Amino acid sequence: MKSFYKISFLLFLLVFVSSCSSDDGGIVELTGKGMVKIEFDNSMDGDDLLLSSSSYTNSQSETLTVSRLNYIVSNFSLTDEYGNIFSYPKDSGYFITSEESGNTEVVLSDVPAGRYTSMTFGIGVDQEKYSQGAEGQGDFLTVAEETNMMWSWQAGYKFLNFEGTFTSPTVTDDKNFKIHMGSHGSSLDNYKETTLTFDTQALVSDDLSPIIHLVVDASFILDGINKISLTEQAVIMVSEEKSPKIAVNVSNMFSVDHVHNGNDISH
Amino acid sequence: MKYIFWIPLLFAMVSCSDKGEYIELNQDEKLLVTLPSNFPPIVYDVNKNPPTKFGFSLGKKLFYDGKLSANGFISCGFCHEQRFSFTHHGHQFSHGIDDMEGTRNTPSLANMAFFSEYAWDGATNHLDLFPIIPITSEVEMGETMTNVLQKLKDDTEYQKEFNAAFEEGGVNHENFLKALSQFMVMMVSYNSKYDKYVRGEDDVSLSEHELQGLYIFKEKCASCHATDLFSDGSFRNNGLSPNPRLNDLGRAEVSGNVNDNYKFKVPSLRNVALTAPYMHDGRFGSLKSVLNFYRNGVQDSPTLDPLLKSEKGLGIALTENEELSLISFLETLTDEQFINDERFTEY
Repeated sequence: MKSFYKISFLLFLLVFVSSCSSDDGGIVELTGKGMVKIEFDNSMDGDDLLLSSSSYTNSQSETLTVSRLNYIVSNFSLTDEYGNIFSYPKDSGYFITSEESGNTEVVLSDVPAGRYTSMTFGIGVDQEKYSQGAEGQGDFLTVAEETNMMWSWQAGYKFLNFEGTFTSPTVTDDKNFKIHMGSHGSSLDNYKETTLTFDTQALVSDDLSPIIHLVVDASFILDGINKISLTEQAVIMVSEEKSPKIAVNVSNMFSVDHVHNGNDISH
Repeated sequence: MKYIFWIPLLFAMVSCSDKGEYIELNQDEKLLVTLPSNFPPIVYDVNKNPPTKFGFSLGKKLFYDGKLSANGFISCGFCHEQRFSFTHHGHQFSHGIDDMEGTRNTPSLANMAFFSEYAWDGATNHLDLFPIIPITSEVEMGETMTNVLQKLKDDTEYQKEFNAAFEEGGVNHENFLKALSQFMVMMVSYNSKYDKYVRGEDDVSLSEHELQGLYIFKEKCASCHATDLFSDGSFRNNGLSPNPRLNDLGRAEVSGNVNDNYKFKVPSLRNVALTAPYMHDGRFGSLKSVLNFYRNGVQDSPTLDPLLKSEKGLGIALTENEELSLISFLETLTDEQFINDERFTEY
């Protein structure tokens, strides 16, 4: 008899709870899966980044004209309002955003429904991935090669490829600069992760596919927490001293501008 | 002798029909990787990429295929010749497309599965990723990974072979690199006279002279050329005067650390009698010159290996007689079985 009451009570509770969530016009229940698009809007200290066109003067009195800005972003994970973390599958979790090819959007598909409040991702390729060798490489080598991100003599990847010309008080003629940053074989790991909190929750469901609009301030690469002077060294490819500093600067160049919720693909 | 035994894997069930024996054509089988009892543990994770009959033969075909280079002629096997333990005999530097020359001497491929760093400077720490370096090097094969893949995709034979060799078939970079690794992982050189002596096989013994060389080796060389791989896999500056034309910084080119200047990977000495010329830049034509260098030619510099510097001076003290004994010992590391192993031969 006792158990009968228990079951009745539970049934009652179930009906009560479900009616609450579906009929009351309260919080909409999100079900199924959706897509999350992340737009990397590259800029320079508040100005739009125009390749081989506009110039930008930084706090070190160096004036840069940028001709290339490519970087690898990877290992995306999204955290919902309850602290549940959804990690995007590692085998398909590496993307190259390239300003010159106009490919500045990352699309995460089959993201479980939820109200996401923050996102974590890596810049570059982590040691775990390197240690897998060919496993799970897919066509990433092809993509990396097409975007000048394969670092053949390191048998790996450039995490950042930032190139252009600059002048400074002591360098009066345009001089080329090249910043290639990545891990140095087994001797130095420059992979970094960053976590960004959303101002509004990103809603994902069968009907909702948000766009997370990030602003990427590329001036941080040289002019962030760490100051890197092009006048001192214009080509930085494998520098045990400067590459880690650049890696830290790069991990700080991302911020969330706004989140679009809805299902309009283009917004 | 210890082996990993792979249970033969049948991709397709072999059915016995009434008519008698029936042989399934699509039958792959796992291959056995030799783990010699006198070797340190294998580093390559064969569980992630277990060599199979089809994967290995695909890897071999790729290894000897000039398609991997820009001009269609330079294959991996062009510089890695089996009879010289997969080195480029008689060539100081690797020769690539358009007769261009590299800056480093071709290293041997023997026992690569037992190492954790590849190339003279450790540009990669995974065997799977190593082929990217020579394929894309402008002075070696001068190709792009993308182009190589396209050429293979356009070849119906390769399409079939990729599909047969890998459960998740298809001509892609993952399978391409895995096949090459399967071929290289099988290249274990472990049957030299020395090996048979240390394992007590076939009543092989070393001569007085060779034994004397072995004792000198253990005393004066084995701290770097350690274990029966004859390398501890570390990067060291052995005191070679830098070639002013190249000024190759070695490990520092990868690490960006000045403390790594002029350090190169300690090479294995297996089959060393066959792999002249010697050193990362192939500057020495004979083992005698190498030993003369250690006796008389070591140059001091901030990164010189401390083991080559003592109160008595630089380098390694050796008498003429000790030098001769050492050379006879080094000659016992030649593995005829390996260099004649038909599994690895081009034709």
